[in-house]
Amino acid sequence: MNEAQAPVDGALYAARQKIYPRDIKGRFQRLRVYAVFALLGLYYVLPWIRWGERQAVLFDLPARKFHIFGLTLWPQDFYFLTWLLIIAALALFFFTALAGRLFCGYACPQTVWTETFVWIERWVEGSRTQQMKLARAPLSGEKILRKGTKYFLWFAFALWTGFTFVGYFTPITELAGKIVTFSTGPWETFWVLFYGGATYVNAGFMREQVCKYMCPYARFQSAMFDRDTLIITYDEKRGEPRGARKKGSDSRAAGLGDCVDCTVCVQVCPTGIDIRKGLQHECIACAACIDACDEVMEKVGYPKGLIRYDTQSGLEGRPKHVLRPRTIVYGSLITLLIAGFAYSITHRNVVAVDVIRDRNALFRELPGGLIENVYSVKILNKDAARHRFSITADGLPGLQVDYGTDAVEVGPGDVQSVAVRLRVPRGELKGGSDIHFTIRTQDERALEATGKARFLAPTN
Amino acid sequence: MRKAPDDYPGRLRWPRLGQDVAIVAWPSFLVASVATMVCFGFIDPLLIGNDDYPPPAFQTRMAGYAVGFFFFWLIAALSSLMTLYLVRTAHPEPADERIDDGTRSPE
Repeated sequence: MNEAQAPVDGALYAARQKIYPRDIKGRFQRLRVYAVFALLGLYYVLPWIRWGERQAVLFDLPARKFHIFGLTLWPQDFYFLTWLLIIAALALFFFTALAGRLFCGYACPQTVWTETFVWIERWVEGSRTQQMKLARAPLSGEKILRKGTKYFLWFAFALWTGFTFVGYFTPITELAGKIVTFSTGPWETFWVLFYGGATYVNAGFMREQVCKYMCPYARFQSAMFDRDTLIITYDEKRGEPRGARKKGSDSRAAGLGDCVDCTVCVQVCPTGIDIRKGLQHECIACAACIDACDEVMEKVGYPKGLIRYDTQSGLEGRPKHVLRPRTIVYGSLITLLIAGFAYSITHRNVVAVDVIRDRNALFRELPGGLIENVYSVKILNKDAARHRFSITADGLPGLQVDYGTDAVEVGPGDVQSVAVRLRVPRGELKGGSDIHFTIRTQDERALEATGKARFLAPTN
Repeated sequence: MRKAPDDYPGRLRWPRLGQDVAIVAWPSFLVASVATMVCFGFIDPLLIGNDDYPPPAFQTRMAGYAVGFFFFWLIAALSSLMTLYLVRTAHPEPADERIDDGTRSPE
C-alpha cells in the first residue's frame, strides 16, 4: 500500500506504548539517510581497513597501544583522549547553540541504530498501518513468520554490530576467524554479546524511551538555547485555528488557519509527540514532521513551512543572528583547542622514560664511602624507527651511572627495561634527594626525555 | 473519528519501575565507561594486586578491564540508586507548600 494513501483515520489510535513512526520522504529525511549511511558505514567498515602490516584503527587494549592510522598512542598519551573528549563536548555545545538538537536528529548512535532497526521492521512488517494491524491480529502462522523474521534480522544485525565493536579492540580478521570456528575467548564472546545485546534492546525496543528517560543531554540541551537557536517549530500564528476543510473552500472565510489537522506530523514522529504543542524536550529534532507537513501543504496548495526550522526571533519576525557572543565564544574555543591538539599531537615527544626504584633495597653502602641505589629505567620508543639510547642522571654532585653497556637499543614501538645503578659519594648527603634521569638518542635523530626519581641515603 | 488533540502516543509514560531501572542503570553506565577509561589509562591492570599471586581477575589485561568496568558500574549504580531514593522519598519543596497555605497568591 502506498504510504501517502494510508488511511489517516483509524490508523491513529495507539493506546499502547509502542510508537510506529510512519514512513515519510523529504529533504530532511534524505539527509538523515545519508547521515545513517555515512556514520554506520564508517563504523562497520573502519576496522577492516589496513595500514601497512596492521589494522588501521585498532585500540589494542591487551598491548595498551592505540593505533589510529599512522599514529600510535600509548597510555602516556592519554591526555590526548581527554582533550578530544573536551573538543567533542564543546562541539556539541556549539552546534546546539547554533542549530539546536542536530546531534540527536542526525548523529546520535541511538537515533542512527534505531533508524536502521525501524527500516528492518518496515521491510519485514510493512507500513505503519500494516504493522499496527499485525500487532493487533491474533496469533497466526503469518504473524509468527513476520515477527520471527524481524527479530531474527534484528538479532543478526545486532550481533554483527557487537562483533564490529570488539573488532576495534582485537584484530578483526583474527576475530572473524575465531567466530567462524567458535573459538573466541571468553571476554571476546562476552563483549560481542554485551554490545550486540545493548544494540538490540536500545534500538529494537527502548528507542525514544532512551531519549525521554535516560539521556542527560536531552535535559540540559535547553541551557544552550537562546532566541536565535534553530528549532523545529510549528507556526502557530499561521496554522491556528486548525481544522479539516473541504477542497477548494475558502478556509480564511471560514476562520481557519493553515493547519488542516491531518495529524501526519504526529504519525511520523519517532518520539510520538505533537509538535503543534510547542517545543518539547522529547523532540529529537529529526525534522520528520517538517517533511510530512511540507508534503501535505503542497498537496492542499498552501505554502510550505507551516512546520519548519526557525528561531524564536524568526517566528516573532525579528532579525536572526548567527554570530552572537555565545556562538563566537564556543567557536573560538573549539578552534583554539583543535589547533592546540593538532600542534601537540604532531610535535609530541616520541620517546619517554619511566623510572621505578628497586623495591627490595632502599640503598647499599659500598666500600669507599659510596651509596648505591638501583632503579629500573623503562625506555619507551614510540617512534617508527629503531634508536640507541644513552642514560644520564643529574641532581647530585659526583653521580656515577652504571647500566652495564654504553647504549641501549630499543626497537620501534617497543619498551626496554634497563637496570641502572647510581653511585654517589657519601659526603654531606642525608636522607634523600631528587634526581633526574635523561635518555638521549645516539643516532641522527636527536630525541630525549627526562624522568624524575628519588635517591635514598642513610639519615644519620 | 478524528483523534482528540491530546491523544498522541508520546504522552504515554513508562511505568515507574522501568524509569527507575533506566535512571539508575544508564547514567552509572556512562560514568563507569569514563571511569574505566581514566583509571586504566593510568593503571595497568596487570600491576594490580600482589605480583606473585595476582587475583584471578587481574591475570590478563582483558579480564582486568572488564572486572574494573563492572566494578565501577556497580559503585556508580549504588550511588545513583541512593540519589534516586532520596529524591523519590523527599518531602515536597517548601515552595510548593507555600502555594498551598493560601497566604500568598500562586503568582
